[in-house]
Amino acid sequence: MARPHIEPFVDRDVPFRKFTMPGFPKGMQYKMLSLDPDNGACTMTVMFEPGYRQPPGMSYSEYELFIMTGSVTVGDKVHGPGSYFMVPAGVTIGALAAPRGATGLLFYNYGEPSFVESDSDHPRAERNKFAAVNAYDDMQWTSTNFFPATAPGCLVKVLHFDERTQAFTFLYCMTPNFWQDNISYHDCAEEAYHIWGTSWMMQFGDLPTGGYFYRPPYINHGAFGCKLGTLAIGRTDSRLYNHFHFNPWTNIEENRERAANRIQHWMPDLYKWINTHGHNHPVDFEFDHGHAHGDMAHHHGDGRVEHSHKKQRRRKK
Amino acid sequence: MKSIPHKRSREVEAWLKREITEQKARYRKIVAEQDALAPKRDKWVAEFLQRIQTRGTHVHFNMMRKVGPEEIPVRPKRKFRVVF
Repeated sequence: MARPHIEPFVDRDVPFRKFTMPGFPKGMQYKMLSLDPDNGACTMTVMFEPGYRQPPGMSYSEYELFIMTGSVTVGDKVHGPGSYFMVPAGVTIGALAAPRGATGLLFYNYGEPSFVESDSDHPRAERNKFAAVNAYDDMQWTSTNFFPATAPGCLVKVLHFDERTQAFTFLYCMTPNFWQDNISYHDCAEEAYHIWGTSWMMQFGDLPTGGYFYRPPYINHGAFGCKLGTLAIGRTDSRLYNHFHFNPWTNIEENRERAANRIQHWMPDLYKWINTHGHNHPVDFEFDHGHAHGDMAHHHGDGRVEHSHKKQRRRKK
Repeated sequence: MKSIPHKRSREVEAWLKREITEQKARYRKIVAEQDALAPKRDKWVAEFLQRIQTRGTHVHFNMMRKVGPEEIPVRPKRKFRVVF
């Protein structure tokens, strides 16, 4: 089971509480926004109390940190509002401190929050994927480049793009009087947090400042509206495609089936290939890891996805 | 490498268990709140279905098309769920 559908949830309605996870220093508080019951991946609003200090260290999960108010120092550098860090699993960051306090969002994408004090990267860390940017000062708004695209007036700054999964993290804003009259769903899960402003969706009503959602794939959302403008941060777990329509009453199964039907028409050759001769666990030649036989849902021509493989033993040379 | 295999301590397992329990309660509260919103939502849907016939529905960016009355979907008899 992955994360449940949490929508809408407004973190302003609940108090911060002390973050007591083993390994983390004292002085951090949190509000849980969503959590994967299986692997512990989660998204939290966090508050670093004035004087918070964290030694150099790493996490076992990839995580992202976005600073909303106040500032933190990492090493010698001060990072104020809009600062964004993408920290791959096992990558060590320098000592982090918040002399005057700060609030932010922490996204642990593939495992529960963890902190291991360390001066050096884990042997399996991918240091080249580390990124840090100030999204407010160093980046400009652009139109979305999806096709089909959201209506004019929804602008983005892409903070991180995963070249394998096409998952991405982005700031987005809706201009005052933004509106989009259709219903959308995606093949990916998405989550978003309102840093400032209120927007409206036909299913869920108003989402104000501090509003959050974690939305699994194929769930209808929209029409959309925003009277005074909104600034938000969003994240997907894989490629985002806007499946637009105007039927308010379709459910997940119908939406997923429609998406599959569309793949059949858009990529007929690939669709046929995947569905024949047990080709449903293909290998990407660009990646030499992450695909051992049996690590992805697949079948052997009999349609039975629920089966397991024994661990393959390496032959002795 | 998205995550590095490691062993969870008992304290971490207990923390996760507590958070999962609280999330279940949060989910139930959201479902109840969204169920209570149903009358308003029905009104919003009726207005939306009217607008897409007069002003149009977005198909891409600023491209819109008007939906004909014969295209308007019929509400199914099942419960209208928005939280899944």
